[in-house]
This record gives sequence, C-alpha cells and structure tokens, in this order.
Amino acid sequence: MTEQNYMAPESVSRLAQRALIAGLLGFAGCAAGVLTNSEQFFRSYLIGYLLTLGVALGCLGLLMVQHMTGGNWGILIRRPLEAATRTIPLLAILFIPIVVGMRRLYVWTGPMKEPLSNFQKGYLTTPGFLSRAVFYFGVWILLSLLLNRWSLEQDTNSEDRALRRRLQLLSGPGIVLYVFTMTFAAVDWVMSLSPHWVSTIYGFLFVAGQAISAMSLMIIVIVMLSRSEPMSHVLQPRHLHDLGKLLFAFIMLWAYFSFSQLLIIWSGNLPEEIVFYSARLHGSWGVVAVLLLLFHFALPFSLLLSRDLKRSARFLPKIAAAIIFMRAVDLFWLAGPEFFPKGLHLSWLDFAAPLGIGGIWLAVFAAQLKQRPLLPLGDPKLAEAIEHNEH
Amino acid sequence: MSEQRSNLHGVLAEFATTEQLLAAAAKTREAGYTCLDAYAPFPVEGLADALGLRRPLVPLLTLLGGVLGGCAGFGLQYWASVINYPVNVGGRPLNSWPAFIPVTFELTILGASLFAVFGMLALNKLPQPHHAIFNVPRFALASHDRFFLCIEAGDPKFDRVRTAQFLESLQAYAVSEVLDE
Repeated sequence: MTEQNYMAPESVSRLAQRALIAGLLGFAGCAAGVLTNSEQFFRSYLIGYLLTLGVALGCLGLLMVQHMTGGNWGILIRRPLEAATRTIPLLAILFIPIVVGMRRLYVWTGPMKEPLSNFQKGYLTTPGFLSRAVFYFGVWILLSLLLNRWSLEQDTNSEDRALRRRLQLLSGPGIVLYVFTMTFAAVDWVMSLSPHWVSTIYGFLFVAGQAISAMSLMIIVIVMLSRSEPMSHVLQPRHLHDLGKLLFAFIMLWAYFSFSQLLIIWSGNLPEEIVFYSARLHGSWGVVAVLLLLFHFALPFSLLLSRDLKRSARFLPKIAAAIIFMRAVDLFWLAGPEFFPKGLHLSWLDFAAPLGIGGIWLAVFAAQLKQRPLLPLGDPKLAEAIEHNEH
Repeated sequence: MSEQRSNLHGVLAEFATTEQLLAAAAKTREAGYTCLDAYAPFPVEGLADALGLRRPLVPLLTLLGGVLGGCAGFGLQYWASVINYPVNVGGRPLNSWPAFIPVTFELTILGASLFAVFGMLALNKLPQPHHAIFNVPRFALASHDRFFLCIEAGDPKFDRVRTAQFLESLQAYAVSEVLDE
C-alpha cells in the first residue's frame, strides 16, 4: 500500500467548500446580529462555540484513549480524530468574541446583588478568567501538536517501538489533563453564568457530552469517506459495530452523570442548589428537559441496543447526526435558563451562530483531513484492523 | 428412508482443518440437510452462517429480563412507598421517582443477566450429564485439533447408509456412527 492510495477523496474537498459557504453565511448572520442585538449574539455565540469546541476536544480525548487502549475501531478513525485536534488553534481564535462579550455574558464581571464568597471573588476575576483560558488552550494545543507530530513520524517508522511508547506515555497523563482542564473550563465558561450555584460533576457532564459529539461526528465522517475510494474497501460492518457500541456507552455515561447530579440536588433540595433545576424542570424549559430525556437518552439508547442498527452504514450516521443536534439542545438547556429564567426563548441567532462556527470549523477540519493519508500507515496493528474477516 | 435404529444419534465426520469443516458444512446444507451440528476446539468464524443457524434467542431473552427486572424494581419501590406504607419524608412526594432510579437500574441489570445466563443454559439444554456424541472415542479430539460435523438422525433427509457415504464424499478424515446407548 502506498501513501498515494490513502489520500482523501474529492468528496472531502466538496465538503470543505460547502461547509465554508455555510459558515460564511452563518457569520454574515452573526455580523447582522452584533449590530441589531449584540446581547443575544453573545449568548447564541457561546452555545454554538461550546458545541463546536466539544467536537474537537472530544476527538482529542478519544485519540488519547485510542493510543492507550489500542483497538481496531480507533485505528480506522485515528486520522479523522487527529485532523479534528489540529483545529484547536482555530477554536482558540474563535474564543475571542466570548472574551469581547464577557462583560455582557457573565454577571460576576460587574457589581452583584448578592455578594460572592471570598473564594469566588478571588477566582472569578477577569485576569483569572483570561489567564486560565490561555492555559487551557495551551495544554490542548500542546497535546494535539505532539500527538500529531509523533503519529506522522510513525508513518515512516513502523518498527519504532520507542515512538509507540512515547505516544502512550503522553496519552495517559494527557487524558487526566484534558478532563482536569475541561472541568475548569466548564466552570469558567458555563457554570459561572450563575456564580452562586456549584456542582462538582459539572465538568464530567461536558466531558461525556464531548465524547458523544466526537464519536457521532467520527461515525458520520467514516461512513462518508467509505462511499468512495480508498476507504470503500476498508470500512466493514464490524468497525461500525464497535463505534456504535462506544457511542451507546458514552450516551449511558452522559445519562449517568446527568442523573447523578439531579438525584443529589433533588434529594438535598437546598435553596442554593435547587435553583438550577427549578429553572430547568418547570415551564417551557421543562419541556426541553423532557425532550432531552427522550431524544438525548431514551430513543438513542433503545435504537443502539440493536446489533443490526449499529452495523448499518445507512442508519447509524443518521442516528449520530440526530445526537449531535441533541448535543446542541443540551448545551442550550444548560446555558439558556441563565439568560431567560422565565421561559424558553429562541432567537434566529441561536441557529446562525452554530451554523457559522460549525461551518468554518468543518471546512478547516476537512482541509486538515486532506493533509495526511486517511489511515495511520505506520501503525503495526493496521493490517489486522483492516483485514477482511467478519466477527 | 431405510431402517433407522432408534438409538442412532447421527453420523459424525472428522476433518483436519477449519476450511474443510466450513466447506463441508456448506455442501451439507446445499445437499438439503438441516439438522446439523459442528464441534471445534475453538470458535470458527463463519461456522454459524455455514450451518445456517438461526440467530440466537439469548439477546431477546436478555432484553425481556431487563424490562421485567426494571419494572419489578420500580414497582416494588412504588408499592412500598406509595401504596403499602406511605410516609411523608420532608414533604417530598410519595412517588419520589428520582430516588427510585438507582434500584430500578440495578434490578434491570440483574434481570437481564439472570435471563442471559439461565436462558443460554436452557436453550442449550444444559446441564446435560451425558451426550451420545461422547460414545465416539475419537470425539475427544474435538478439544484438541480436530473438527467434527454431525448430521443428526432427526433430519428428514437422514439415511444411515447414504448420509455416511455423502459425508465420506466430502473428504472427511473419518466417518463414524454415533450410537446412543
């Protein structure tokens, strides 16, 4: 097998073009939004940003899990995962509007009616917020740089055991670092929207959600790639089966974390904690909560129980796309009630911002995907991973 | 159909490789036999398809066990705290469903695993202290390096002589009758 055979097909370039057009349209909408309703623009932008960031960071996490555990499923999606992690610098740039709008988004930047505790006052400061954001992006970009560089080196040095060892030695602590930084990022960027309310499992909700988003995107991408050469001979039902099983597991993990938080806060029923759920489980936000229970958990859970559906290149990507949409609804439900406590409020900017950020991101992702062969050619387990045998 | 002794379990053919076994199983099915079983020292890929086995019932049983377990778990708590012994705890509703979920979840898993294990045993007719096939001395090699294909006497096409001849025509290493006595 030569490298030339495994370069991305034409369809990836077409995807990049279409995504770029969608992204530019979305950003044009956002620009109109800044002028007409800048308050709403920043709110919608934050949700769209979190959705897109989740896909890229989820890919970073899955990539490191793949290096730690091996597994045929991960060898097949390793290059798309790596391409997604190479978009993190773009996400650092796309973070700028949130910094610009932070005085409008976060109430703690101004005088508060109910004062914060001394610790919170020391933690939630503008310089602290900014320097921590720089640190998070620094960690994520460094991890992605090293993982990508060493993986490329491996393409020509398949015999190099030290290289494989190095990838594993980085990935183990890397997973811990990712979960750690993401927990703090979730606290800074979303939980601090209501600075009096705290939950220790909050970061894990984001980590599990990001794993779901990333796995869903990978299923869509790998099936899209398998429609044309060179991947059409590579993807087999057993690969989709593995990816489907992992998606199923991540959905259960997300439900488990979400329910843990609900059970503890609901049982305690303390005034400073329960506000989170009293805003989100009643009225029109309560309807969104039921939709989340049904379509972010119950329906995908029931569908993915089926072996045939997990192995189907026709249906699994559709389920994955629906799940990505529900990820957006989940983030909307987490952040939205802080801006509109009285009830659900939907603006056209809530569609324009995710379209803009997501479109630009997808275009850059597709461009990155074209840079390298679609399979890690130097991975010693590659032959086994793409061998044709049905289990 | 010629004479069939009631204590005849079937005819057993022995093969040296998995490829021979798979080919033989496919040809046996083409010839119209339906009551087949194969024995190998390790799982052979594609053997279930070659034998034309129906999809196993165990997944369905597991789902059933899970649903039953979950309903029983929730029902038990609902009955205890709402119907049989309602107690007002800190003003919470009697049907405090979030508090019921952990036990419901556990019993879903318990029901699913019990149905999976015991369903599998029952569908395999286990435990079974003795099976006629152990009467063939060479069958012990099924745990070492030999692969066996058995056409059972219950097959509508089964004929003691012709079935044995048919198996020999598949280049079996050895063909022997399995007697149940």
